[in-house]
Formats: sequence, structure tokens, C-alpha cells
Amino acid sequence: MMDHNHYRFAVMADPHDPDDELRAHREACPECRAFTDQLLRFESRLERALRVDILPKADVLPFARKAAAAAPRSRRWMTMAASVVLALLVAGGVWLTLPQRSLAADVVAHMAGEPDAWRRTEVPVPEPDVDAVLQGSKLRLKSGAGMVSYASSCDFRGHKVPHLVVQTPSGPVTVMVLVHEPVNKSTRFDEQGYRGTIVPVPGHGSIAVLMRDAESGSADVERIAARVDDSIVWTR
Amino acid sequence: MNDGVGGNQRRARFQALCQSLRPDLLRFAFWLSRDRALAEDVVQESMLRAWKAQDALLDENAAKPWLLTIIRREYARTFERKRLPTVDVDELIAKEEPMLAAAEEQNIGEVRAALMKLPDEYREPLVLQVLMGFSTAEIARELDLSGPAVLTRLHRARRLLRAACGEDTRLDPQE
Repeated sequence: MMDHNHYRFAVMADPHDPDDELRAHREACPECRAFTDQLLRFESRLERALRVDILPKADVLPFARKAAAAAPRSRRWMTMAASVVLALLVAGGVWLTLPQRSLAADVVAHMAGEPDAWRRTEVPVPEPDVDAVLQGSKLRLKSGAGMVSYASSCDFRGHKVPHLVVQTPSGPVTVMVLVHEPVNKSTRFDEQGYRGTIVPVPGHGSIAVLMRDAESGSADVERIAARVDDSIVWTR
Repeated sequence: MNDGVGGNQRRARFQALCQSLRPDLLRFAFWLSRDRALAEDVVQESMLRAWKAQDALLDENAAKPWLLTIIRREYARTFERKRLPTVDVDELIAKEEPMLAAAEEQNIGEVRAALMKLPDEYREPLVLQVLMGFSTAEIARELDLSGPAVLTRLHRARRLLRAACGEDTRLDPQE
């Protein structure tokens, strides 16, 4: 039988990875459950504290500059010519398809910077912490959305946006509420191992919902996006 | 290195991979050094080293731990090269104040200040676990420690942080 000290030591070392024995102790012991709740509230603060805004001054990778500088002169001319052709194509109308593609690409790129988001866990983020993350975007979640295992206010395209992870039977699902990104229609995407959809929310921008490829089918993503949309209560 | 189409595609892929991992690598380097300018230098130099050694990366899924190892070595090399002076933590906090205090909530700034003061041997495994998503076994491998030693450090890290932030620690376990 596990004692309180053993439980609390283990959960303080890794609050998000309780094994069956730890879970059983937590369920059976109100004092340790209260301790865990308090610890998880602090853990949420810790996760946000570590995610400092530290965008690089130079947005170019050092080898990207070097590779460009090292290219032979002829290749550089060809590259310039190709750039002009590309620019003409863009001016010719191809640009119409770009904004939504780039929004999806930005959402996917954001995922790589959030490793914790994909953790399978049964430990929910305390409700006040979820509410704090959502408050800035003037919304709250009804209980039907599912268990929220990750909640963070992230920098995205110059705005703070809520980034939530909801645990579902199909695996963790990431939801980004993009109140500053209105879109005209739903867009599905399948990029770099992520499958998702960006759906318009009239008057409130859009919502991006995505899963990792191995864990998802298109139907899963669409269904979850609809459920999330239904679970949102806008407070303005 | 192969300069053909395959080589170019592989380089582009590697570049995209590094670009996507860069924000967290910068954050990791910042919490390692507690100095933004130094963190940027270390990450830039590490990226160059990674670029030159990219053939050694056989599995893209292992890119993050691979890059982290390069960053840790580069940071250690910086110390050897420059013989950086012993740091005054309060000075570091004052220097990085604009970034540390940039959080929307005041209590986040408080946690950041406590993290700055946390001893290196506790801060590093904590950052690897919470920010980078490493398991205990991965942290043990990266820091060349045993699993139980990692768990002890993680436990102590949280105990010190919580105490520094005025949390109720009466129910905290005894070691």
C-alpha cells in the first residue's frame, strides 16, 4: 500500500505521468487529491512561465545565409530569375489561395514549439486555469468539450491566442481559437504529419483543430471541430 | 554532400525542421544561461554545427534531443572559451526584467524570477521535462544521471520553486 509521502514525492517529480498505483492512491485519499490539485495549479503557472517570448532578433537561420552566400553566381542568377517568374505568378492571381494555406502552415509550425501539448494524460488542467487562458478571447467552454489537458495563452501572428488540448478517445486534439483570423470557409489541411481543419466562426474569427496524422482520420477532425464549436460560449 | 535535387530537398527539410524547433531551443538555451543575448549566440552557433553534421541525424524524430545535446555542448564550450565570470542572479534578473515581466499575469513573473534563482542542477532537468517534454529516462540519458537522481532533482526543483512563490508547502513530502 502506497503511503502519502511516496505518492507526493512521485507526483512532485512528474505531475503529468501518474501510474495506476499513483492514480489509485489519489482516488482513495482526499488529502493527496487536494495536494495534487494545488500542485497542478502551480504546474500550469510553471509551464506558462517557462514559455518566455524570445523571438530571435535575426529571423534567418545562420546556415540559410551561408548556403545562399555559397551558391555559385550562375545559380544565383537562376534563382533570381525564378523569383521574378514566381512573383509574376503571384501577381497573376495565385495569391488568392495563399492566405488560408499560410494560416494552416503557421498553425502547424506553432505545434512544433509546443511539445507538451501532445502528451497523453488523464490529468485535467484546473478549470480556473482554463478560464484564465480563455478570458482574453472573451469565451468560455461548456463541459461537453472534453477533458482539457493543456491550456496556454500563446503568441500567434502578433496576438495572444488560446491553445488548448482536449483528450479524446482518438488521442490528443489541439484547438487554437483564432479570433483575429477570420476565414471565409472551412479549410482542411494535411501538413508535416498533422491533419486538421480551420473553420470560420462568424463574428469571432476562426478555430483551428488538429491532430497528429497517425492518430486521426479526417472524419475525426471534422467531428471534433464541430463539438468544440458547439462547446464554446462567447462572452461578448 | 550531395548537391542534386535530393540533397537540396534534404537541406530544405532540415532547414524547416530547425526553424520549427528554434523557438523552444532558444527558450531552452535562455533557461540554461539565463541570458538572452548569450542564448541567441549559443543557438546560432549550434545551428551551424548541426548543419555541418546533419548527416549524423538519421531519424528526424530524434532531431530535438540531438539539437539539445549540441546546444548543451556549445554552451559548455562558451564557458571554456570566454571564461564567463560568476553570475550575480539579481543582476541577471534585472537585465532580463523586460522579458521576464512580459507575462500578462503578475504571478507568472514571480515564477520566472524564482526559476532564475533555482540552482542549475535543478533548473535544467525541470526545463527539459516541462518545456521540452522529455521523459525521466530521456533526461537521465541527456544529463548522464540515474533515473532516481533525476526524480529527486525534479522533486527538489518544484519544492524550492513552490516555496519561493509562497505556495502552501505544509503537505510537501519529506525526503
